[in-house]
Amino acid sequence: MYKDPSYFIQGVLDNNRLTLARTITLVESTLMTHQDIAKNVISELLPHTGKAVRLGITGVPGAGKSTFIESFGTMLTGLGYRVAVLAIDPSSTRSGGSILGDKTRMEKLAVNEMAFIRPSPSSGSLGGVARKTRETMLLCEAAGFDVIIVETVGVGQSETTVASMVDFFMVLQISGAGDELQGIKKGVLEVADAIVVNKADGDNVTRAKLAKKQYETALHLVAPSSPNWSPPVMTCSALEQVGLKEAWEIIKQHKKIMSASGELDEKRKEQAMSWMLFLVKEGLENWFYNNEEIKKVLPTISAEVESGQKAPTRAADELVSILGSDLLF
Amino acid sequence: MAQKPNYNEWVEMATKQMKGKSPDSLTWKSPEGIDVKCLYTAADLEGMDTVGSLPGMAPYTRGPMATMYAGRPWTIRQYAGFSTAAASNAFYRRNLAAGQKGLSVAFDLATHRGYDSDNPRVSGDIGKAGVAIDSIEDMKILFDGIPLDKMSVSMTMNGAVLPILGMWIAAAEESGVGKEKLNGTIQNDILKEYLTRNTYIYPPAPSMRIVSDIMAYASKNMPRYNTISISGYHIMEAGADSVLQTAFTLADGIEYVRAAIESGMDVDTFAPRLSFFFGIGMNFFMDIAMLRAARFLWHRSMQQFKPTNIKSSMLRTHCQTSGWSLTEQDPYNNIIRTTLEAMSATLGGTQSLHTNSYDEAVCLPTDFSARIARNTQIIIQEETHTCKVADPLGGSYYIEYLTNQIVEKAQEILDEIEEIGGMSKAIESGMPKMRIEESAARRQARIDQGSDVIVGVNKHRLEDEKLDFEILEVPDSVRLEQIERLKEIKSTRNEAETQACLAAITKAAEGEGNLLEVAVAAAKARATVGEISDAMEKVFGRYVATTQCVSGAYSSEYSEANPESANVIEGFRKRTENFLAKTGRRPRILVTKMGQDGHDRGIKVVASSFADLGFDVDISPMFQTPDEAAKMAIENDVHIVGASSLAAGHKSLVPELIEKLKAQGAGEIGVVAGGVIPPSDYDYLYDKGCKAIFGPGTPITTSASKVLDLLEAQYIK
Repeated sequence: MYKDPSYFIQGVLDNNRLTLARTITLVESTLMTHQDIAKNVISELLPHTGKAVRLGITGVPGAGKSTFIESFGTMLTGLGYRVAVLAIDPSSTRSGGSILGDKTRMEKLAVNEMAFIRPSPSSGSLGGVARKTRETMLLCEAAGFDVIIVETVGVGQSETTVASMVDFFMVLQISGAGDELQGIKKGVLEVADAIVVNKADGDNVTRAKLAKKQYETALHLVAPSSPNWSPPVMTCSALEQVGLKEAWEIIKQHKKIMSASGELDEKRKEQAMSWMLFLVKEGLENWFYNNEEIKKVLPTISAEVESGQKAPTRAADELVSILGSDLLF
Repeated sequence: MAQKPNYNEWVEMATKQMKGKSPDSLTWKSPEGIDVKCLYTAADLEGMDTVGSLPGMAPYTRGPMATMYAGRPWTIRQYAGFSTAAASNAFYRRNLAAGQKGLSVAFDLATHRGYDSDNPRVSGDIGKAGVAIDSIEDMKILFDGIPLDKMSVSMTMNGAVLPILGMWIAAAEESGVGKEKLNGTIQNDILKEYLTRNTYIYPPAPSMRIVSDIMAYASKNMPRYNTISISGYHIMEAGADSVLQTAFTLADGIEYVRAAIESGMDVDTFAPRLSFFFGIGMNFFMDIAMLRAARFLWHRSMQQFKPTNIKSSMLRTHCQTSGWSLTEQDPYNNIIRTTLEAMSATLGGTQSLHTNSYDEAVCLPTDFSARIARNTQIIIQEETHTCKVADPLGGSYYIEYLTNQIVEKAQEILDEIEEIGGMSKAIESGMPKMRIEESAARRQARIDQGSDVIVGVNKHRLEDEKLDFEILEVPDSVRLEQIERLKEIKSTRNEAETQACLAAITKAAEGEGNLLEVAVAAAKARATVGEISDAMEKVFGRYVATTQCVSGAYSSEYSEANPESANVIEGFRKRTENFLAKTGRRPRILVTKMGQDGHDRGIKVVASSFADLGFDVDISPMFQTPDEAAKMAIENDVHIVGASSLAAGHKSLVPELIEKLKAQGAGEIGVVAGGVIPPSDYDYLYDKGCKAIFGPGTPITTSASKVLDLLEAQYIK
């Protein structure tokens, strides 16, 4: 691993594919020494960020996220945009390992010189989002990518986490076999900037249109997050490349409206705050778990809670007070 | 008369011999999930509807012909092809002179995927895994001096089926043999390509139309021709057990029948020309039973289409001994394996058979190894007297029981597929692929821990292995030769006529018209394989594969079996965990397949098991160029790349990948190779910078350990 922050900073600014890839590895590293360099790199690069369209895409497994990104991304590069895709794959809780197979479903985009695709293992962080997706997004922006797509599996709290780091949050759905809404959560509707019903092709077109109507109805029951934007519902076929241009138009429209109203700036400020708070929380957790005293007593106290000798509330008090009694409230 | 033996007395005796343990404790659970007891009796067969038929009569459990091999033995049909058309032609003629009866053509991967030999995507594949064919001129050389009106010719072609079949028909006509006289089989089984072999070109829907067009054309013009060979072989080679092979193959067959009927054909016009192709592995009795069960099931499944011709529901099949069961280690053992598998296939009642050469785990067969393989069949036919009786194992309690079990278990899967809406829908859902891969990962785990024994690999392994046989290598000059011939044909043909024929193909692809008919015309007008394929790709597009990968199957099979194995897995997890603690991330490996070889069982088993051991595993799309693989390795910033090669492209592709990585400043990313690589090439690859090579049969634990050794040495100081 390289120690000089300027190696990373210069490489990213030059949009050197190799250095960008290595810088992502650096920020994802769990070593403190790497994190210290990474913080420097991010701070230096921060002024060069903010210009890209940040797009989050979620959807249940089987909604065709990868196929959508393959077609959508290829269309964007055709229009002259440089596209970065950050895909998050679940790590196994048992082995810790992961299978990062996204590029097998993005065959064309994977070899496209205008595109950069980086799959990352979720590495145990909650909700199928990699710990460092935010930072990775900024690195890609600094490297000059025009559109950053963050793809996430629609499980746990990943939708809200991703929504809290992008400008536009797209929920990909498919029509069900019957008339039920396909596993969409209320929390997802609340953060969606658009719902796209994919796989509107072949004998599925009618069902997709029906599903569109149902999602429209469902959206009416949710208060829109912005006074200036009602999330639209549209159908598309990533397979047949139908509806992709329309989706891009909606995203551009959204950006125009939100920029004009000042909401985009507002949103990004809020996101910076929530990023900070996220880091604070993470820092506190690290501090806690790396404390020598905690490391010593944690197994004992855990065992006591497990065996019922000690109440969880009391145990937590004891543990936190080790860090300083004034932390207790 | 002696008293009828009493089963209870046998149990008593067996228990005594087992020192008090019940003989039930000897029951073996086969990979198919069938409980195999140590004794079968008449009582086991009571009430079975699969027992008691006669050969040549429905439901054909005992064979499609009344007298079977007593009347006429199976056809010895050896699959071969390599290098140029001229080289393959000479090889065929030598084999025919030595007693082979039918021809079976292997094409190279460039041809399979519809590329001409001058396409830069396929520079590593020309003439390697089969013969290179670019135009009708190559086809004419391939069959030079072989009487096509007499010789039955089988061609393994699925993706580029239209240009190849078109060129064959056109070549025959130009040599004076009318298409009505042509005899043989085209594989044309596109569904299984999406499942396992991946040598498709177009998406499923237009591919199914191509299949129907060929069936329609042949039913009108080629009465002696088998228009499809529904293949379980590749499904087995991808790791499926015998029940999965049976179920998915028959389900593919049912799907083709439906497609043909939907395109307006009457079932009796094409169904008698459907043929099958099964793979025969080392589970000796199981695969005898599998062929019997498949015939029974096919007959039963076909009744829904109400055929009136009895041949419409009669399953006729070609078989091939398993290539997967061959080992690179102690390779002469492969002769014995192939012999046993050939026995299994013929006791099961196959109509034709290919026996593998012992050197195929390492390289292409030579004249010598091909002779041994061919003689294996001739000896069984001529010396063993096993051909004197039809279905000699019919009535064996055990065989009949297994037959019935396979019928029942395969029927369950067939029902499941029907519920999904047929095989095309099932393939779309990913169900068959996941089942096959799970079965493959479990098999690998059983081998790695020694519960499935492979002599010379995980038992009685030689200390010092020396390869002492001749190796056939296809020189790179084949590619240059083909490119020259392409230039020549393009400069001498009537260009306007060629272009008109190609335009007609595009038009037929868009709407009406029989695609094979226009392909024959284009072949005559000297259009190339690549041009004819492109003319359709304009309308159909090129199919993009999706790769799924099972997880957890390897480690669960491993630890289920015994606690010692669980420790092995735990040991690896500790090492990967330690790597994470020391370097800040898990060991990350990219597994990739370069070139046009689509056999992806190996990399999937590796990917799935490495992830189970705690690696982060990136999988590349299929058919990568070294350039593309390097881009992906760099972008994903992996520690190491594992390149899999089963089609003889390793000598150009692996060094090229290493060069590309170095050229982009990523020389620290190591490259290891695996697959069918002759040991004589090892030094060459090491010289070029390859860090490790894993031959066929390398246990995952060995390759994972070596990869970790390399990474620990490089990154943990």
